[in-house]
Amino acid sequence: MERTIIKTEHLERVYATGAVKTYALKDISIEIEEGEFVAIMGKSGSGKSTLLHQLGLLDKPTKGNIIIDGNDVINISEKERTRFRLHELGYVFQSYNLIPELTAIENVYVTPMARNLKKEEYEKMAEEVLTAVGLKDRMYHYPSELSGGQQQRVSIARALVNKPKILFADEPTANLDSASSEDVINLFRKFNKEIGQTIVMVTHEKDEGEKADRIIWVKDGLLDTDK
Amino acid sequence: MQSNDLKVMLFLAYKNLTKSKITFMVIVAVMAMSFLSITFFASIIDGLGYEFEEGMIRGQTGHLMIEPQEDELYISDSADLVKDIRRIPGVVGVARRLDASAVARHETIEIGNPVLFIEPENEKDVSDYWNSVIAGEYLSKRDTDELLIGANLVKSYAEEGDTQKRFDVEVGDRITLSFSNGFVKEYRIKGIYKTGSRFVDDKIIVNFEQYQLIFGSTDDIASNILIALPQRGMEGPYTEQIIDLGVSEQINQWQTKMGAVNQFVGSLQITNQITGTIGLLTAFATIYIIIFINVTNKRKQIGILKAVGIKKQIILGSYVLQSLTYGITGVIIGNIVMKLLLLLLSIHPLNMPIGPVIPILTTERLMTTSATLILASIVAGFFPSKKAADENILDAIFGG
Ligand SMILES: Nc1ncnc2c1ncn2[C@@H]1O[C@H](COP(=O)(O)OP(=O)(O)O)[C@@H](O)[C@H]1O
Ligand SMILES: [Mg+2]
Repeated sequence: MERTIIKTEHLERVYATGAVKTYALKDISIEIEEGEFVAIMGKSGSGKSTLLHQLGLLDKPTKGNIIIDGNDVINISEKERTRFRLHELGYVFQSYNLIPELTAIENVYVTPMARNLKKEEYEKMAEEVLTAVGLKDRMYHYPSELSGGQQQRVSIARALVNKPKILFADEPTANLDSASSEDVINLFRKFNKEIGQTIVMVTHEKDEGEKADRIIWVKDGLLDTDK
Repeated sequence: MQSNDLKVMLFLAYKNLTKSKITFMVIVAVMAMSFLSITFFASIIDGLGYEFEEGMIRGQTGHLMIEPQEDELYISDSADLVKDIRRIPGVVGVARRLDASAVARHETIEIGNPVLFIEPENEKDVSDYWNSVIAGEYLSKRDTDELLIGANLVKSYAEEGDTQKRFDVEVGDRITLSFSNGFVKEYRIKGIYKTGSRFVDDKIIVNFEQYQLIFGSTDDIASNILIALPQRGMEGPYTEQIIDLGVSEQINQWQTKMGAVNQFVGSLQITNQITGTIGLLTAFATIYIIIFINVTNKRKQIGILKAVGIKKQIILGSYVLQSLTYGITGVIIGNIVMKLLLLLLSIHPLNMPIGPVIPILTTERLMTTSATLILASIVAGFFPSKKAADENILDAIFGG
């Protein structure tokens, strides 16, 4: 079943800082299949994060279009983009970005809660996914009481709890030691293999990239086709 | 807005508030202290003004004061008038008085002084002389050779270092009064009174009948008649009832008899208005700033919540709710502490030169202060969170 879940058409993202224009993305057209585990790689400053932000609907391109699961996600209202993020997408940041005032389980269930699910339902969902990332016994800890690796696993659980169509991760292991990094990548592989989770991950680690099905190379805001 | 949105809003607000207990306590304390600083001083000033007026009412004017027509010196047939007024339902007390002045002498000291002629029993209902006697006793109807003297005329009650001329007397000593018509009589000091009000503690008081003896007038005259009502604010209706009795004399309400006190209380109130307004503005600014800083620090969190798909209104609502909680809690605590202070000060009034002052907090001031502080907290919560919620997600998270 070869089904395109992400398609970008000539994406451009220009930052205008005063008179200076930075072309973070110049012209990116890619397609990603459902169930694929894709790594985005390239040098620092090549535009990897910018690309992921566009795909994850955290930012809007200055030109071009993005189709996710058949939906134009650019020419829709901000409200619909928010709804799309909640229901269809999961995002893992390099720096975890958990809400410090919420426990691990609360960080995870705040989004299913916002989807108007019942308490028993969203608690169960959060418990399941936290168990799956190996944090069954850390559910009621606050982020400040967890190690970096544990926090990143909470943020993965948060990104997965609503069974998103796509999981995005921007250098998810960059702040972690090698053991924790391996845990995270193994989790990604596991979710990809077991439930067919589509994953788009930015990384600068060659060996991490090699664990993906495919690597998309980026250079100076363009696809690097030499690799 | 769905009910579920409200649920998430409450959840986020609750977690934020309870996780940052220190922040919560600091902000609430600032709110409560702002509340107190505005209301407390103002209520003391109001209490001071009230006490000034009360001192006048309970010493000089009554709630209503009947006085002779412009071209008359006295009210005639005053005994009947007193009786008639006393029959009006609700009237608490009616007492007539006569005023004169005399030169009082004790040993080598002579002081020209007002002399007040009273009917001791009736007077009890309209003024506080009877329960302000601090040495000796109050006058009784039969006392023909006795007088009461105000503490301001007695040396032993003067402040240290005071150089005003006073009598070095105590109860039982004798004072000679010389009146303008040449009549001279020696009286024994039966009591010394001190109401605490400077305006009334400088009198010599003798029995009403003495006036006839001294001035030989036989008519049933009075200089004025004081009327005490159940409370302030009822002067109008009672004035009309007294007019209905056919009284042709002037019936003056206490407000019109205050003279300098009126001006003084008026300027107190203006001062209070000005400091109150400045206080409110300061409190508004303070609260705005601390809540503003607090919410501005949550900019990243607001970005994260947006990134994971939480609606803008939910985020905004949760922050306004938090600020509102600060506001309401601060105001409630401020109110409670203020109530306790008022209670404490009503048991142990502040002793001021004009008498014991009990702070008065008007409902109006209470409401304006509470409302302003709560409004400040809402505004302070709304704008920075609106700004953060409206901004680009990445800027909010990464601080662009
Ligand atoms: N908010 C921004 N304003 C201006 N320039 C930006 C901004 N974000 C990224 N850039 C620029 O865009 C380019 C690509 O950045 P980024 O996507 O973060 O690269 P990568 O993630 O591959 O290291 C860089 O040159 C970076 O400086
Ligand atoms: Mg990057």
